[in-house]
Amino acid sequence: MDTVLSKGVFSHFGLLEVQARNRLIRPQQSSRVKELKAEVAALKIKREQLKAEIQTHKTLQKLRLSVDKQSIDKEVEEMEEEFADTELLKLMAKHSHIKDLIYAHHLLGGYNIIKTNNDKAVCVSLATAYEGFYLDTYNLEIDLRSVLRISHHNIPPFIPLNSLAEQSNIQTDVKAFLELLSLHLNAYAGRKQQLKLVKEQFKSVEVMESNTLCTLLVLMFTASTKRTPVLCTLDYSDHTKSLPTRVLFECEDSDLPNSPEWKEHCSLLMETPVHKALMILRNVGDII
Amino acid sequence: MKHITELEMINVIDSPNQSMWHALQLIDPGDDAQTVEFIQFKKQFKSHLVELVRHVSIKIKKHTDEAIWIRIAWGDSYTRPNHMKPTYAVHHLQTPYVFVTTLTSKQKPLLSQALLLSTQYQTIKEANLSGRKLTAIRDLLMKQYQQMFPNSFPSLLTETKENVPDPHKVHEQAGTASTRGRLACETFGRGALPQIETTVYKLDTKYKDPTNQTMSERSRPFKCVVKFESKNLLESLRHCATSGIVSTPVAQLLSSIPKKGRNFFYVTDTDAASSSQRPASQV
Repeated sequence: MDTVLSKGVFSHFGLLEVQARNRLIRPQQSSRVKELKAEVAALKIKREQLKAEIQTHKTLQKLRLSVDKQSIDKEVEEMEEEFADTELLKLMAKHSHIKDLIYAHHLLGGYNIIKTNNDKAVCVSLATAYEGFYLDTYNLEIDLRSVLRISHHNIPPFIPLNSLAEQSNIQTDVKAFLELLSLHLNAYAGRKQQLKLVKEQFKSVEVMESNTLCTLLVLMFTASTKRTPVLCTLDYSDHTKSLPTRVLFECEDSDLPNSPEWKEHCSLLMETPVHKALMILRNVGDII
Repeated sequence: MKHITELEMINVIDSPNQSMWHALQLIDPGDDAQTVEFIQFKKQFKSHLVELVRHVSIKIKKHTDEAIWIRIAWGDSYTRPNHMKPTYAVHHLQTPYVFVTTLTSKQKPLLSQALLLSTQYQTIKEANLSGRKLTAIRDLLMKQYQQMFPNSFPSLLTETKENVPDPHKVHEQAGTASTRGRLACETFGRGALPQIETTVYKLDTKYKDPTNQTMSERSRPFKCVVKFESKNLLESLRHCATSGIVSTPVAQLLSSIPKKGRNFFYVTDTDAASSSQRPASQV
């Protein structure tokens, strides 16, 4: 009060004014403080959430690793004490594992492939099938070094593996090489199977000549008209197909091969597999 | 005379495991090599060989398993063909291998030339594989035995083991034993193996033995010949690997026998454990 009296009433008023203003500002600051406190709380909650997510991810990784090693049950037992929701996590791990597998399979063009030799090589399995039946399976081991090299295989020597590898540029495009090889092998398996069926089902048809790659087939059957023997040559010059590229009939009676019905037979043999074509011819009655 | 040669040929075809066979390999196929067919081959071979050797008697036959058997009785410009010492050659079209019996150093280039021209390949060389049993060396080169790959299902391997596991016995080394078995089968194959009877390693390497100073100090390489003989060499090697006598993964010197299809190796120091490609000087 002494200061008030010494400085004057107006200065006192000024002081009171300042005090009153301060009292107005402080509640704003406290609300600001409250806001900040609320933000801090929210961030804390978020931090807890992220921590929980990281933890889930870590367990998922662990489970994924164990799924990869196929020992998931043991790992799950260890973790059951720690977490609820292990069922869900197990499923999630398996799901991501399968997704990765499918993607890898897609990358390789759908061939059965596994890693070997401490991940230094891969072993590819090529299956062959004809008319719905699985035939031989061929395997290839490819060394994964700076230069890809086929180290071990059970592909028969009459399939020109090295020239196929060069042709499809195995170093840059393994998938193309595997596809080309698969085409060759499947076509060979198809032709071999056709030959086998012809020998089994048609005892009256004689196989005069064939070769190991099954690219040449000479058959002799008897035409029902005049009972003349007809020599039929089937040339499979496209090694990726199981249908012939050229059919030739030879007969003592030189008119027979030129007759329209035998020309039809020619086109039939070019379009249907041998055993089916012979069956048709036999049913129609043109050959015995 | 013709009948006798015919009969002799049939006899040899029926029992091919009597003479000593050597394998030759054709390299660098021409563009038409894949489409050579039997009649064309027969004509070409006969005409080429007759061009090279004036007096020669050739007989070519095709066996049911698509093998082409060739019997050659050699003569020269002055003498008639000698039917006492014929050469037999076996070839499967579209494969790069030819198997021959008794061939002198004079006859070899002539036969090689005729073969190259009729099969449309550029070069021919020794395959370093020989043996008495034609079926064995042919199966080995053409990989006609049951090979095993890492992606064969492991359950197939356990078929061969004892089926009744005694609950009271614990097999201490079951894991390592099965790994050894698997690696042995991957290297040598499964089931019956081609009956290779001998393998020869000609060593021209530096002597390495820390206990023997005099030999190790020699600067010249130590030459020696190691020969393995057995009724079925591949099976015995596979058994060695399975039982642990030979360490697995199988060393390259031994695994080269089935992998490269050879049974003669010339080993030098230049490459550490592999064999060099120098052809055999023997016939």
